[in-house]
Amino acid sequence: MRILWNEMKKILTWKSLLLLLIINCILYFFLIDFYIKHFPNGRPALDSYRIGIEMIDKYGPSMDDEEFKDFLKTYDAQVKEADQYLQSDPQAVEEGIDTYKKFMDYDWNNAPQEVWKIREQIFFEEKVNTFWELQERERLIEFHELKEMEPGGTTPAQKKQYAKLAKEGIFGNYPEIVITNFHDYISNVAVAILFSVVAVMSPMILRDRTRQIVPLQYTARKGRSLLKTKLLAGFLSTLLVVTSLLVIYMGLYSLNNTSMFFDVRINTFIGNESWYNPTFLQYILFTIGGIYLVGIAFGLAAMGFSTIVPNTLTLLGVQIPFVAGFLIFGLNRMITFPMNMWFPKWQMPVFFGLLLLSSLIFVWYVIRREKKMDIML
Amino acid sequence: MRIVLLECKKVIMSPVIIGLFLLFTAFNLLVIFNSSDHREELKIVNEIIDTYGREITPSSLELFKIDIQNDLLELEQLSGKRYDSVYDFLEGLDMEAYERYSEKEKTFISQLQLKEMYESTASSIDENYAKIDIEKFGQTSLEMYQVSGQAAKTYLAENEKFAKRFEEMIQNGEHKQWFFAGKAYMMHTFLFKNIFLQMTIEILLLVVLSTAFLATYEFEQRSHLVTFSTRRGRKLLLDKLAASLAMAVAIAALVLGSTLGVFFMVFDYSHVWETSISSAFNWEYNFPNVAWWDLSVGQFLLAVIGMLFIAILLFSGLTFAISILVKNSYITFFLVAAGFILLYMLPGFIPHSSNWVFAVGYTLPTLVMAIPGLFMGSSGLIFFKNFEWVTISAWTVFTIITLVISYRRFAKLDIQ
Repeated sequence: MRILWNEMKKILTWKSLLLLLIINCILYFFLIDFYIKHFPNGRPALDSYRIGIEMIDKYGPSMDDEEFKDFLKTYDAQVKEADQYLQSDPQAVEEGIDTYKKFMDYDWNNAPQEVWKIREQIFFEEKVNTFWELQERERLIEFHELKEMEPGGTTPAQKKQYAKLAKEGIFGNYPEIVITNFHDYISNVAVAILFSVVAVMSPMILRDRTRQIVPLQYTARKGRSLLKTKLLAGFLSTLLVVTSLLVIYMGLYSLNNTSMFFDVRINTFIGNESWYNPTFLQYILFTIGGIYLVGIAFGLAAMGFSTIVPNTLTLLGVQIPFVAGFLIFGLNRMITFPMNMWFPKWQMPVFFGLLLLSSLIFVWYVIRREKKMDIML
Repeated sequence: MRIVLLECKKVIMSPVIIGLFLLFTAFNLLVIFNSSDHREELKIVNEIIDTYGREITPSSLELFKIDIQNDLLELEQLSGKRYDSVYDFLEGLDMEAYERYSEKEKTFISQLQLKEMYESTASSIDENYAKIDIEKFGQTSLEMYQVSGQAAKTYLAENEKFAKRFEEMIQNGEHKQWFFAGKAYMMHTFLFKNIFLQMTIEILLLVVLSTAFLATYEFEQRSHLVTFSTRRGRKLLLDKLAASLAMAVAIAALVLGSTLGVFFMVFDYSHVWETSISSAFNWEYNFPNVAWWDLSVGQFLLAVIGMLFIAILLFSGLTFAISILVKNSYITFFLVAAGFILLYMLPGFIPHSSNWVFAVGYTLPTLVMAIPGLFMGSSGLIFFKNFEWVTISAWTVFTIITLVISYRRFAKLDIQ
């Protein structure tokens, strides 16, 4: 127990904590900050977010046909509001765009300067909520009306899933802004955590060897099984690092204020057809679990490499292709869109399985190797 | 000299460097071959240049149009109907009817299609360039980048210079030269952005790794007490620096050589080397690529490679300086990576109303990340004419100073 504790202290030195801080600060500003600071990003996005909340308030986590009628009523009411706004604007009346319908049907591509000004005033200077929201509502209505349509070029498995969703009456008709933001946010968080784990875990065992204290350790009563303790210490430190980073990043995510959407099922968001149908909160927990698995797999692999490579050059060089390969092929399938129907259903579990299995086998090999290794000085 | 060679050998013989190099090259080639669907279509430009010359003059364009008319006559015989354009013909054609034509006829049709595309772009050059108002473009860019105050003044002053250059370019007719259609194939972006960015990152990884490895080798292998007490002593670092720089050049040459070699084998650039980089066909996004100087595609490529080589050497030097300060290659690697990203992001943290927003863009990371826009007046906030040479010289001075300081510090260091 004491050795374990001391090994952990060797991993989480103030130097490596500083490294952790630097990596995360830089990656935070480079990758993550945008999705917190600019959420919702700009005008139609803000309306999308607000309408989404309104829908959840009124209709709960999904909208049936009755409720959709009510949604249309709200839309009509708002169109009247817009009509009134236009009628109260003498300039608009003069140009003959005194109702919302006329406003929308107007040939804006060939509009003269003065008429453009009316439009710009409405959208950008006065920022009239009604007009922005109407646009968003129209988009949602359009999606609701197209809900039965299946995209072309689907595989049989995808067809089956679409049919199943249609049968259960699950359609994407809620604003997708929250979940899109979460996809972007969580995948960048995963990148930051991956780099942190690899950077902190990599040097631990190699350091002992370059300091040439391993022969000394072998003569202790604990002997060769010390490696197991080191690996355990590394594993616990990985968990510690991942957990504390996740706490911080999830704390930051709470600033986006998306808890109202937690009960909405992920298939209910527009364009987010998935193989499984958890609620948004369950989905968040799932991706967090995914990040833990990725962190553990890469942490174990880093320790494995650390045990067998001769120097830091090799330690870093060997891990570059694995990390790059994960970022290019794995990240989308495992963290960003783990359940999405773009990817075949088998891919996500297979990828997670392979990742975890290969790192476990690697560590097992390293432990076995240690047992049989010749000791030479 | 022998010591330098032996130091080089440490890198050359390391399986990781070789393995990574092979892996990177394989990846680059994969990307090239994956995007080579249109390589045959590009060859039409070679034919056009062979037949009508590189410059698009009214008379050569007229000839081109006549030849297209002749081809259309041939199409009339083929289809039995007169079309003004092959696109009209294709519009009224369904898949089955198209399949009935022989391979040769299909090739003829697609060739004619390409010719018409190039012809229509060439005919509309004057019209499209007349629409460009550099001053207005400058104003919109200011709004887009939210630049104001003193910085806006600087930007507009440079923009005025660029407007003059733009006029001059049109006078020279640099834009009226044949090149691969930019809107259709995006060859400039593909080569200078995708491929070069990939290569730059790969070279940087290899160079930073090998430099840090060489510089800290003695400490990490615990041989420092022996090596630094020899007659050569701490001057060994000079050999190590020479070896690092040599290896940086070698790595850059190998990566660039193998990848670009295959690239130009796959895509036939043989006829367009002398085409101006500011060609109207090199217009990909909402503004054409316009260089500050009259550069041909070949010259641009060489200039960019030159810049990259210098930048790589400077990165190697800086890594070396940091390595001997930190004496730990692991930390060095992350420090360099962190510094790279930090410098690259720096303009984002500076208020967009002071000239500093431009000044902090004059950094090596920005330079190597902006390769498609180098020497261009159309590259956003780093469009300044002096961007390249000021960046390079400032950073050369900075690198030398850092190296001297860290070497001096090392010379007095207590080595345990």
